[in-house]
Amino acid sequence: MTTCQMNTPPEMDMKEETRHFNTQLAIIGSGIAGFAASIFAVNRKIATAQIGNTGALAYTTGYLDLLGKQDDEQAAIADPWRALEELRKNQPNHPLSRIPTADIHNGFDEFTAFFGEYGLAYSRPGANNITALTPVGTLKQTLCVPATMAAGPRAFAAQKPCIIVDFIGLKGFSGRQVVANLHDRWPDLGTERIAFPDMDHGEIYPEVMARALEVPATREKLAAALKGAAGQAKVIGLPAILGMHRPDHVRAELERLTSLEIFEIPTMPPSVPGIRLRELFEQVLPHKGVTLIPQQKVTALTFAAEGATLSLSDSYGPIRIHTQAVILATGRFLSGGLEAHPDEIREQLLGLPVTQPADRTLWYRDRYTDRRGHAIHRAGIAIDHAFRPLARDRRPYNERLFTAGIILAHQDWIRSRSGAGIAIATAYRAVAEVERFLIAQA
Amino acid sequence: MTPESLRKGPATGETILETEVLIIGGGVTGAGIMRDLALRGIHSILADKRDLCAGASGGNHGLLHSGARYVSNDLHSARECRQENELLKRLAPQCIEETGGLFVAVDGDDPKFAEKFPTLCRQAGILCEELSVAEAKRLESHLSDKLIKAYRVPDATVDPFRLALENVDHARVINGSIYRPHTEILGFEQADGAIRAAICRDNRTNTLLTIRARQFVNAGGAWAMIIAQLAACNDVHLLYSKGTLLISHDRITHHVINRLRPPGDGDILVPGGTVSVLGTTSMRTDDLDNVRPTVDEIDLNIREGTAMIPALATARYIRAFSRVRPLLQSSGNSDDRGAARGFVLLDHAGQGLSNFCTITGGKLTTFRLMAEKASDLVAARIGSKVPSKTASVPLPQGEACRWTAPGAAPKYWFKANNPDDMILCECEMVPQSAIDQIVQCAPGTEEEMTLEAIALRSRAGKGPCQGSFCGIRICSYLYDRGYYRDRTGLVHMRNFFNERFKGQRTVIWGQQAAQMELAEALHCGLLGLDSLEDD
Amino acid sequence: MAETPIATINFKEEAHRLLPEGASFEACLTCGLCSSGCPASGIENMDPRKFIRMAELGMDEELSTTPWVWCCTQCKRCHHVCPMNIDISQLVFLARSNWPEDKKPQGIVRSCQMICATDSTSAMGLPPADFVFVVEDVLQEVQATQPAFRHLQAPIDKQGAHFFVNQNSREPMSEPDEMVPLWKIFHLVGADWTYSSIGWAAENFCMFSGNEAAWYEVIKKRVDAVNNLGCQVWLNTECGHSYYTMWQGMKRFGLEANFRLESLITYYARWIREGKLPVNAKWNSKGIKFTVQDPCMIVRKAYGEAIAEDMRFVVTSLVGEENFIDMQPNRSANYCCGGGGGFLQAGMTEHRRTYGKRKFDQIAATGAAYVLTPCHNCHSQMEDIGHFYGGNYGVVHFWTLICLSLGILGENERTYLGPDLLALID
Repeated sequence: MTTCQMNTPPEMDMKEETRHFNTQLAIIGSGIAGFAASIFAVNRKIATAQIGNTGALAYTTGYLDLLGKQDDEQAAIADPWRALEELRKNQPNHPLSRIPTADIHNGFDEFTAFFGEYGLAYSRPGANNITALTPVGTLKQTLCVPATMAAGPRAFAAQKPCIIVDFIGLKGFSGRQVVANLHDRWPDLGTERIAFPDMDHGEIYPEVMARALEVPATREKLAAALKGAAGQAKVIGLPAILGMHRPDHVRAELERLTSLEIFEIPTMPPSVPGIRLRELFEQVLPHKGVTLIPQQKVTALTFAAEGATLSLSDSYGPIRIHTQAVILATGRFLSGGLEAHPDEIREQLLGLPVTQPADRTLWYRDRYTDRRGHAIHRAGIAIDHAFRPLARDRRPYNERLFTAGIILAHQDWIRSRSGAGIAIATAYRAVAEVERFLIAQA
Repeated sequence: MTPESLRKGPATGETILETEVLIIGGGVTGAGIMRDLALRGIHSILADKRDLCAGASGGNHGLLHSGARYVSNDLHSARECRQENELLKRLAPQCIEETGGLFVAVDGDDPKFAEKFPTLCRQAGILCEELSVAEAKRLESHLSDKLIKAYRVPDATVDPFRLALENVDHARVINGSIYRPHTEILGFEQADGAIRAAICRDNRTNTLLTIRARQFVNAGGAWAMIIAQLAACNDVHLLYSKGTLLISHDRITHHVINRLRPPGDGDILVPGGTVSVLGTTSMRTDDLDNVRPTVDEIDLNIREGTAMIPALATARYIRAFSRVRPLLQSSGNSDDRGAARGFVLLDHAGQGLSNFCTITGGKLTTFRLMAEKASDLVAARIGSKVPSKTASVPLPQGEACRWTAPGAAPKYWFKANNPDDMILCECEMVPQSAIDQIVQCAPGTEEEMTLEAIALRSRAGKGPCQGSFCGIRICSYLYDRGYYRDRTGLVHMRNFFNERFKGQRTVIWGQQAAQMELAEALHCGLLGLDSLEDD
Repeated sequence: MAETPIATINFKEEAHRLLPEGASFEACLTCGLCSSGCPASGIENMDPRKFIRMAELGMDEELSTTPWVWCCTQCKRCHHVCPMNIDISQLVFLARSNWPEDKKPQGIVRSCQMICATDSTSAMGLPPADFVFVVEDVLQEVQATQPAFRHLQAPIDKQGAHFFVNQNSREPMSEPDEMVPLWKIFHLVGADWTYSSIGWAAENFCMFSGNEAAWYEVIKKRVDAVNNLGCQVWLNTECGHSYYTMWQGMKRFGLEANFRLESLITYYARWIREGKLPVNAKWNSKGIKFTVQDPCMIVRKAYGEAIAEDMRFVVTSLVGEENFIDMQPNRSANYCCGGGGGFLQAGMTEHRRTYGKRKFDQIAATGAAYVLTPCHNCHSQMEDIGHFYGGNYGVVHFWTLICLSLGILGENERTYLGPDLLALID
């Protein structure tokens, strides 16, 4: 199979000429689900184009949750695989209930393996969830963590003496807060505040610190400060600033320079781990042959007997992408896949029917942090066994259209801590269905 | 002047406070009474079971009536409003924006009502200038194309929070009068036809305290009947009307825009600094403490408001709120809107009490006058001959009271040009220094203030993100400062988000749905605030 | 002399007017990705999010007068990373336009005045006759001293030539020998090209100075010059903003053009692919490392990934795949160097270097000995911050390295080569 690429820039005459691309699979949406689908498709040698603003990907924490909580229960889930079995019984419509455990496992394996090659290693999916740290000193269950964060959960589990280091000028992350809230569960936790090298004045952003740490000289200066802050502790926790492009290298170098074990904790937006993923995808996927158009929005999607056509525009005018199959992974309200109107929730691109509460009074419960979650989150697109969205007649909207990610109905990814899990697992299944479809077509 | 003396009762371990006057209810009226008394040299304690402006004082449009709204049905109120409007513009300009107001009729509105409007205004002494349709559209481009009539009146807007804060702060400065938040009255000790003390509970620590005073003033607003009953006074008769309003992300008009017709739903749009407030629905209720906006009320306001300002149909809304307004039962039981908006001062002499009075009803615009009347009674009973000075002494500007004004914090901050004074609330641009000042010296400041209390004294959390980011930043800043030291800070943060959400729940669509999804992913998905152990 | 006050703009209204529905300021989630990713954040205590919020909060006077608008290079990186697609650069342009001429940074204003002062449209004020003289003088010298190029041509005002080639004024003005490598490349590939005595200069600070009328005049002059010579392609050479100001100006002012706008980078790549420029990396026997700077003006703000890809193809062909290290972030996500938007001309040196620190860190992180860039402003800024922050990298033009690889770089054409590269020649 061949890949399609924009080889030469469009010629810059004043007329807007439509540019055409042909591909086998077009993925609409550039969140975790969209990129996971791209990775799975590339690995299966399916010619792929991917379109969509990658902006919201920067909000992700770096943690890859599969299933961290059951709805309406306070206790966290230790064994997500067993919890999946429960889910299948209790919520057969849940997207994860539609996917065999082996597929979910394989999806996580394939997705996490991808990053290791590019300087951002992930822990592989284990038998149990990892108890991970948050920037306010609470704990969270997740399945896979970046290598840069792995030492935190380990140190916590082993109750090693540890110092959380925070920085002058970095707002929204306080070592004192982490310690105050973890103290009863981690007595040997302390905190120190230091100045970041050459940034001891005014406001500083994690992104800027992370990029500065890609420079050896900055690492050396920070290492000296960290050694001073560590005291007797052998483990240091930092906000997520350990490099942007080569985080594993940055962490290894800092550990070498300090002889300390170092980990990072995700921070509130704008935070580094999401930007890492975004930049990595944007660089790597085109090299793997994906036609990636990361800043534009698909304005129309039409289907004909011989294929589907996506319409979009960039600064130079219209683009048409002709494809055999489409995966819709446009996300929810934040990414624009769903739109909340005062009277109903609509699917933005095709006007697909949206499974939703009867009216707006039912969207939210009275209490924001209600453990049972809000009905609006369970709204979304209904699918058939092959992950094809259903039209109003309950039949697939089109044989070429598949869907993946949190746009799917019957799940509350926030309460169940399953955002990445739903994204990866459904992308895995959707690509498998696309592959089956393409083979059948051929 | 009797300074407060505070001592522990040795037998019970109970806290006893003493003052000359205990004022119950921290709305603008209570705050106004506190200042009025202080200006006469009388010390008081102001107690509220929640915090300043927790009732109708904080739950209205922030309209400083010209009086024109009442010319058709309550000439007395209209005149009172006109007088107070003029007075406050002169004496408390820091709390007021002189926006001017328009009364507009659109196609379909009763032309007869419009015709007699100027005459009625003239009778109340209210300046009323007819504008051509073109002139009105030039002043306010968002007005409907179906506009048929427009008048300009001297409406203005007022920041009730700042008004209450400034009154309380001035009283403190004058004679050390004290404001106590979250202090709820449970009952009164009475003897010989007088109240001796109020038995209170500190709702935060859940401890009891006794406040002894010579005079007791019930300024409980909608709660006045319940408070009076605690003293066995059964002469306060109130009905309750629930009103719901909503706040747009942008300021849509420069002027206050009133619908030129008898009062009804969705008939007023009031600028509030950088936003606009659309209201109001009116519905009878019995429930004072759990009022919340409903989807129907929101949709009704928007539907009606759209007739005047079509852009309201597509505006981004960030918040809605409901409050209960007390209606004096004596004013008849016809239409609640037709009920007189006057206030009542009851001396309870007929109930066998010589040192207790109740003031309720009225409106934000006439709060000063209400305070003056109540204070006159209290002063007379104490034997003070000093007259009220609030009609002539300007309200000073308290340093720590200035943060509630929209757009004020960034102006100070920008001018100071100190890069180390970081912005914590990015939407409303509230810097660290403002938070520092509030937790140190704003009226009602105390140890480990909640984020909600800080937000009430500033603009933090009032912008499009509704506190979802700044709640985290302010909280972590307060941990940094050693102000929060344990899990309490986290609970405050969670409670703050829950409290903000109450106002958001019915207006989450469009852009706000995106904002909310991001907030919830952060608060619950990452931070796990939906499973804090203290639940 | 009476001071001209800066008028106050209603930024909220203007944003509403200028920006698309759903991507205007009221769509902002205030997440801060823009500010986190902006090298001008912190300068003058401002950043993109503050700009948006101040507009929404009605701080029009402050926004109308903050000198930050001259530190924002309008690089549009904030727009690029914004999940809501909000663009503040248009409002920054508006704010710049609103400053009275006498209050604007005089360096930018003077550059624009110079451009308008002669038919050359040269920011250094080099008149057409002088340009023609310099070109002819240098050409004769090359023909006389470099036997392989005794037939080298540098046509001027050649009717009907395929390419209308622009030229940054810095070369004819200060380092004329630097023009020669490009001529040699054209010679080698047999390009049918010409300079024009009118509208030949590349640079255009009128847009950056916020002078829309002057911007129009410059573009009009250039468009007329190309139309008059009947050329098919206006070929933008190694300069970033010249392309952007021409492209956007033609769109904005609705100018009729009988030609296409193209970038020299595209042609370098094409000629290498077609074998017309038989470059290779064998000369780089010592494995000297190179990185590349993506100019905002032709990558993020214009051609996007396509030209970024071409640039990398050219660089790796020149220095060897293994000797190329990409900056991070790169391509459309790259940081502005801090020389753009007229910053280099504005005289705000301290701010400009603060801005440039991120670029310096990016370059330092690659460990590369040289940065290649097809933009003169990037070039100067990266040299300056390299010296200021103590870096030890050089900055080179593409044409230099192409000719070096082909073994045709004349002795006077090696200004930007360090000893390591010089040692590899001959």
